[in-house]
Amino acid sequence: MTSRNTLSYAYYPGCSLHASAGEYDLSTRELFRKLGIGLTEVPDWFCCGATPAHNVDELLSLSLCAKNMELAEKVGGDLAVACAACFSRLKTTQHVLSENDVKRKQVEKAIDAPVPMKGNVKHLLDILARDLGLDRLKQAVTKPLAGLKVACYYGCLLTRPTDVPNLDCVEAPTIMEDVLKAVGAETVAWSHRLECCGANFTLSRPGVVIQLSHAILDSAKEAGADCIMVACPLCHGNLDIRQEEIEGVYDTRYAMPVFYITQLVGLATGLGADKLGLDALIVNPMPLLKEKQLL
Amino acid sequence: MSRIGVFICHCGENISRTVDVERVAAQVGTLPGVAFSTDYKYMCSDPGQGLLKKAIQEQRLSHVVVAACSPRMHEKTFRKAVESAGLNPFLCEMANIREHCSWVHEDRDEATAKAIEIVGMMVERVKKNRVLPTITVPVTKRSLVIGGGIAGIQAALDIADAGHEVVLVEREPSIGGHMAQLSETFPTLDCSQCIMTPKMVDVANHPKITLYTYAEIEQVEGYIGNFQVTVRRKARSVDEDKCTGCGICMTKCPQKKIPNTFDRNLGMRPAIYVPFPQAVPNTPVIDRENCTKFKTGKCGVCQKVCGPGAVDYEQEDRLIVEPVGAIVVATGFDLYSIEEKPKGSAIKGYGEFGHGKIPDVIDGMTFERLASASGPTGGKILRPSDGREPKQIVFIQCVGSRAREKGISYCSKICCMYTAKHTMLYHHKVHDGQAYVFFMDARTPGKSYDEFWRRSIEEEEAVYIRGMVSRLYQKGDKIVVMGSDIAVGVQVEIEADMVVLATAVQPQKGADTLAQKLGISYDKYHFYSEAHAKLRPVECATAGIYLAGACQGPKDIPDTVSQASAAAAKVMTLFAKDKLEREPIVARVREAGCVGCFYCQKVCPYGAVEEKEIRDRQGNLVKVVAYVNPGVCGGCGTCQATCPSKSVELDGYTDEQIVAMIEAL
Ligand code: SF4
Ligand code: SF4
Repeated sequence: MTSRNTLSYAYYPGCSLHASAGEYDLSTRELFRKLGIGLTEVPDWFCCGATPAHNVDELLSLSLCAKNMELAEKVGGDLAVACAACFSRLKTTQHVLSENDVKRKQVEKAIDAPVPMKGNVKHLLDILARDLGLDRLKQAVTKPLAGLKVACYYGCLLTRPTDVPNLDCVEAPTIMEDVLKAVGAETVAWSHRLECCGANFTLSRPGVVIQLSHAILDSAKEAGADCIMVACPLCHGNLDIRQEEIEGVYDTRYAMPVFYITQLVGLATGLGADKLGLDALIVNPMPLLKEKQLL
Repeated sequence: MSRIGVFICHCGENISRTVDVERVAAQVGTLPGVAFSTDYKYMCSDPGQGLLKKAIQEQRLSHVVVAACSPRMHEKTFRKAVESAGLNPFLCEMANIREHCSWVHEDRDEATAKAIEIVGMMVERVKKNRVLPTITVPVTKRSLVIGGGIAGIQAALDIADAGHEVVLVEREPSIGGHMAQLSETFPTLDCSQCIMTPKMVDVANHPKITLYTYAEIEQVEGYIGNFQVTVRRKARSVDEDKCTGCGICMTKCPQKKIPNTFDRNLGMRPAIYVPFPQAVPNTPVIDRENCTKFKTGKCGVCQKVCGPGAVDYEQEDRLIVEPVGAIVVATGFDLYSIEEKPKGSAIKGYGEFGHGKIPDVIDGMTFERLASASGPTGGKILRPSDGREPKQIVFIQCVGSRAREKGISYCSKICCMYTAKHTMLYHHKVHDGQAYVFFMDARTPGKSYDEFWRRSIEEEEAVYIRGMVSRLYQKGDKIVVMGSDIAVGVQVEIEADMVVLATAVQPQKGADTLAQKLGISYDKYHFYSEAHAKLRPVECATAGIYLAGACQGPKDIPDTVSQASAAAAKVMTLFAKDKLEREPIVARVREAGCVGCFYCQKVCPYGAVEEKEIRDRQGNLVKVVAYVNPGVCGGCGTCQATCPSKSVELDGYTDEQIVAMIEAL
């Protein structure tokens, strides 16, 4: 229920946040608590089918998301989503079902319940930048991220698909930069912020992932970034966990920490490393944060 | 007693297949007032019309009903035939037994019964038809041409050469339009300025043409044959009569750093300027926004140095009213600009093409200025960022065009050809350079066009890559262009020195505002709509207004010139008569009943309702009633439906006629 002063959401963490991206989950909960935004985890939520389902069967993919939306309705309010892939699928489902009565009827038959259409699907960025607002976000900052040069990485899913009303402009979004500037960081202009990291192929064709992610790391480095910020556990996996492997293949060295948005914003609001799960990152961010006197 | 003749058409088999036409003829023959009825295979044919005329004379018919197709198709035909047989044409009506009956029904008996009813209704209706006199309105044989690009210039010259006066209004300080900006033109590669500037001079010197540059249309009143157009001549701050065009003011103006829009901001110009050296008229204009005198009150150099004393800071906008009989709209096009993605517009933009952010990503028109001998580089192809010659150049077609998801779904028509031309100009000037073109399709339907396009590939060695670019980015001093070659099925990356975007053709800014002033319609992209896409391609639905050039849709120069001449021909046809005949289907006010509420005036889409004072013999005002100007009335009948006191009626569609039809059912 969104009222004037208190924001609260049904929270859909998605599978990654309960597994490989635990630090994204942790930092999200801590940051939102700090900002006074309520998050209630959707009871009994399950996988949204993210990348595989819609390639296999559209009805299945729509139904998985619709079922989660139906569960979320029990909590009420808009649905807060952290993972870019879950976000893209849930948002697409909502759009498709609101435009197409035939599909909605099929889905309703499949999940044996009406699809709730009232609540919005919102990415955490949207909540921070628009629902809370950049002004209130600024007020919550106790330790501005001064001097930290960040490459904001949107990846390919956060603003796509193009035909779904989305988080921000498809080709020239600024929402990540807006949020980071509000907490005092510097953002760099770089070329690969919307490029795909190869997430879909992370298990089947790691060679593709290494090539694509290398280009992203390279471009961030060239633009003079100290670190990369992501809003998606899949991107994070490729850029952070695989970074050493990429360095090996291309015989280079980046040592480029890859943060989740909630970790950086959390830092600025004064949350400690333990509350943000910074120790779970593979590329060690401590030297950078110490150098910039942010810890 | 009326003697009505009814003529039932078979329309080949179109009607007779479902409707028993003979039975219809026999049945309606028995209706009161019907003196004659018959059927015929093709009523609209010459023998069919002959039959009609013969019957009118032999049977002394007073009214005629033709039961055939839609009146849209042949009402004019039959009314003409009736007229030539000596009857008033408006005593003839059509009963539509094709679209309204045979085509939409299958059961022969039922369709026949319905046809009989339809014809019966029209028989009752036609009894109430009145003799309507044809309305004539005088024609002012002068015309207005809006827009001084090649379309406006051509139309103005054609009309003026036929001996009629023309007022040519151009928004910019000089005529010439976009064509004056071009380097060479396809498919002959002759220099644009060389074929354009003589025409510009002809316009300026023509005794029948009044040229207003730096002027805009303020207001349009009136109707076909009789428009009153108010033109706003913006203050030039230079007296056109005194100025000799010596140009000393321009050289002495201390303000020198104003982006030259004619050169697509590649060069600079002073605050007092002519857009380009061959401008017509060659009188400078002061750009008041950037002039020191207007900003701070100081300076005044140009006035001091001007020998004939032509500079006049006090000059104000002037309004001039011009009476004209016809209007040619030739406002042309603008290029879709990526940097200015309109806020809140459905157009999504191409943020990832870096236009406006990466200096060496330019649009097609900017390339024209680079390639033009009179351009900022004297015709050398040099990068805007560092003035180096680009050795690898990438052209991207369909930027904005044919991209539904971006908001523009149409093809801009000219880009395939001008990109082919650009690759040639580039190859002629940079011999060791390589041009690449990313394209979706090559669309080159025009005389010698396909040959031209092939030449760019076969002789000028442009590499065409079928596929779109996903994005591009700056890397050092190169621009990395990422795309796909769908013919081979591979990803392509090209490190280019310069990128040229073939951006979509759009109507001029403010096209909608002008259309509202003129009362003409436009499509969702703001291109002006023609009256009929195939049969009336240069006329607007609003009588007396004609279209020429890219304001109607993307067009190349040959098409534009053809259409301009066609529009001129239409104007001359209109001017061939001294008086205009109009259909007398107009509204008429019964003054006795009119209470002067003027609801009709509020709803009339043509602005045809005026106020009329009724006075007694002593000249005292009795009341004010509505008057419908028959020259303006479009015959839509909206006033009739609105009038609370039933005092306004549309001739040819009176309540009496409609009620008679209903009662005949
Ligand atoms: S007043 Fe001065 S700045 Fe203005 S146009 Fe004349 S010379 Fe230029
Ligand atoms: S609406 Fe009828 S009554 Fe009123 S002004 Fe018009 S004609 Fe007269």
